[in-house]
Amino acid sequence: MRKTMFLMVALLAATLAFSAAGLAADKEVKIGVLYPLTGGAAAAGRVLRAGAELAAEIANQQMSGIDMDMAKNAGVKSMGGAKIVLIVKDHQGNPQLGADLAKKLIKDDKVAGILGCYHSSVTKTVSAVCERYGVPMINGSSTSPALTTRDFKWFWRTTPHDKWFTKDLFELLIGLTEGKVKGVKAVPRQELNILAAACEKTEWGSHVSEEIKNFAGEYKFELAVNLLYAAKSPDLSSEVQSMIAPKPGAMLFASYASDAILMVKTLKSLKAKPKLIWGQDAGFDKPEFREMGADIEGILTRSVFLPSVARVKKVSGQVNELFKQKNGVDLDGASARSFTGLQTWVYVLEKAGSSDPKAIQKACNEITIPGDQLVVPWAGVKFENVGGETGQNVLGMGLIGQYQMQKDGKIGLEIVYPFNLATADMIYPIKGF
Amino acid sequence: MEAIRNAFDFSDFPRLDMTVAGAALVFLLAFPALPHSSFAMATMIQFLMFSLYGMGWNTIGGYAGQVDLGKAQYVGIGAYTTAVMMVRWDVPFWVSMPVGMALAVGWSFIIGYPLFKLKGHYFAIATIATSLVLKDLFEVWDFVGGAKGLELPLRGNFPDFLYLQFREDYYYFYILLAMFLAGLLFINGFRHSRLGYQLRAIKDNEDVARSLGINVHWCKIKAYAVATAYVAMVGSFHACYNFNIEPEDTMSLDLSVLIAMMAMLGGAGSLWGPIIGASILVPMRSYLGSWLGGQAGLAGLDLVIYGAIIMLIAAVQPRGVWGMVEAVRGRRRGV
Repeated sequence: MRKTMFLMVALLAATLAFSAAGLAADKEVKIGVLYPLTGGAAAAGRVLRAGAELAAEIANQQMSGIDMDMAKNAGVKSMGGAKIVLIVKDHQGNPQLGADLAKKLIKDDKVAGILGCYHSSVTKTVSAVCERYGVPMINGSSTSPALTTRDFKWFWRTTPHDKWFTKDLFELLIGLTEGKVKGVKAVPRQELNILAAACEKTEWGSHVSEEIKNFAGEYKFELAVNLLYAAKSPDLSSEVQSMIAPKPGAMLFASYASDAILMVKTLKSLKAKPKLIWGQDAGFDKPEFREMGADIEGILTRSVFLPSVARVKKVSGQVNELFKQKNGVDLDGASARSFTGLQTWVYVLEKAGSSDPKAIQKACNEITIPGDQLVVPWAGVKFENVGGETGQNVLGMGLIGQYQMQKDGKIGLEIVYPFNLATADMIYPIKGF
Repeated sequence: MEAIRNAFDFSDFPRLDMTVAGAALVFLLAFPALPHSSFAMATMIQFLMFSLYGMGWNTIGGYAGQVDLGKAQYVGIGAYTTAVMMVRWDVPFWVSMPVGMALAVGWSFIIGYPLFKLKGHYFAIATIATSLVLKDLFEVWDFVGGAKGLELPLRGNFPDFLYLQFREDYYYFYILLAMFLAGLLFINGFRHSRLGYQLRAIKDNEDVARSLGINVHWCKIKAYAVATAYVAMVGSFHACYNFNIEPEDTMSLDLSVLIAMMAMLGGAGSLWGPIIGASILVPMRSYLGSWLGGQAGLAGLDLVIYGAIIMLIAAVQPRGVWGMVEAVRGRRRGV
């Protein structure tokens, strides 16, 4: 009898042990991911999604070839090895749809938090939903400065924003006049003094336009044209003509993918001859844009990641190789930031040890991710409430890259700013069209 | 008194229609109590909003037969009036909404007068142009936030009935449902009103209507104002529901076309048409996007299916779904 009892208890214990192990293995943390997978920014949406998915894949299994803490564990260690599950939705660049999908993710899919949304206008409505429901949202790729000036308690942004990026541009322009740029002798100020800018007219572009105007005044450049245009516009010739008219030294753009391509094609058809063209990332840093080949040689784009970073930062090279194997293209500004956004989610969950919103909130406010963990060339991730901003990563940094012909005959990006990170001589002036 | 009697007069509809409408009403009233996802609730709110937009559009586009593709400008006026009054002067929704409607109606009189000198395609193009011009003006007008738009401040003390700020969507649903029912009754009364009959006469033949002593120009302007009041009211609601508005979102050509398309697809010139149109297109748009939009390798398929269904309905019956129903009934009656 005693033997039978012992056997039964042992069987019960074994069953419990196995089911506990099974539960631990089955544990998962759902993260809602909102990106534009269709519409004008679909190209960006595809790489954003790929970046987040790769970060989740690395977090969910041990990968010896990646020098990141999250690659050493299979899942979130502090949560019993819970796996990261992404629930991806397409907001089509529509703020209302984004808000509705955020409600679905929060209330129906019970996600621990949200990552997204690329378009600043969509991030605005989605973060308002998260704020109402007290659900954490980490934003990796929206750069409108206004997003972190709303005193929100449930919103954190890893990427630097347009104020920083636009300042970088003007530092580059000043650097050109002072002979600080690699491979370029000091340029006479009057050559670059007249600027012309065209920005798409939603939340993001209009903020960039405002920043360009402010910095042009601060750095004493003449902003002859500063227009807003509809990104969906099928024809941009009148916009380009008004930009060409004052014969600007530099043309500045904030464009999404399809309009960035159309803008350059129109510049070419109207034989524009600026000395310098700069794009505020987004459309200027997409694979479709690069397919224009020699036409974009010399064009500058701000970014937070360029494939040339992989040459100087080991972990970036490791992740970039993996990304390229899966997607056939290098990491770019969008995919690298999406990767970093989800990576931040993983480290935050690791620190919180729970998917409870309050614990995540506390972890977000206290976390510091060292720069050596990141694919982007930042000093790290640390959210602070300074200078009227809340939840902004203060350790980020922007880059300016220039499209140059590579040895293999393909077009690629080389870093020209910050000056100490320059990977090639800058082409100045560009050959024009 | 007669207006109220007209509003509740559904005697020209067969019993089947009223049974279906009654069942739909019971369903709508009970919906928040039924098991549902939050996405279904968001979709229902969109359905009610587009039904109201469509009802408004139907007065000028359906009953008067004037294809108006510029309704988004009035959505914008309603939305911006509420947002500006709330952000700048802390005015509650229930005050800013009628002000927004009044401003929109005022604007509709100003542009309606020259607009209705035009006919057919020229009128449709002019409505698009006025809407786009107004949108462009809002995009450079700093007082209303320019292209960045306006964000309504979260007050935090949910539920807030004065400022229409709720955590749970069923509050928005019931408020919008009340507007929907009031809007439906008003349109029903409008159908039986003198203006309603005059508009149908104008739609059939403007010259004959004029020969009967109808002031065609003035009738169209009045119908346009009624349509405007509807969309401006929903625009005000949209600002509170979305917490954020910008010209690209509230005043786009896409929205104008969507409003007209839903009403036309359901059946322009009929009481139920805009509601049927919204009940088909809104859930289809939301759910196809939600199911297929996020699937790897299927991105965009939802839009292909959505477009194909619209083309199919338009090809089979240009008078919309309600036109199909009437065609079936006509065949049964042997007409």
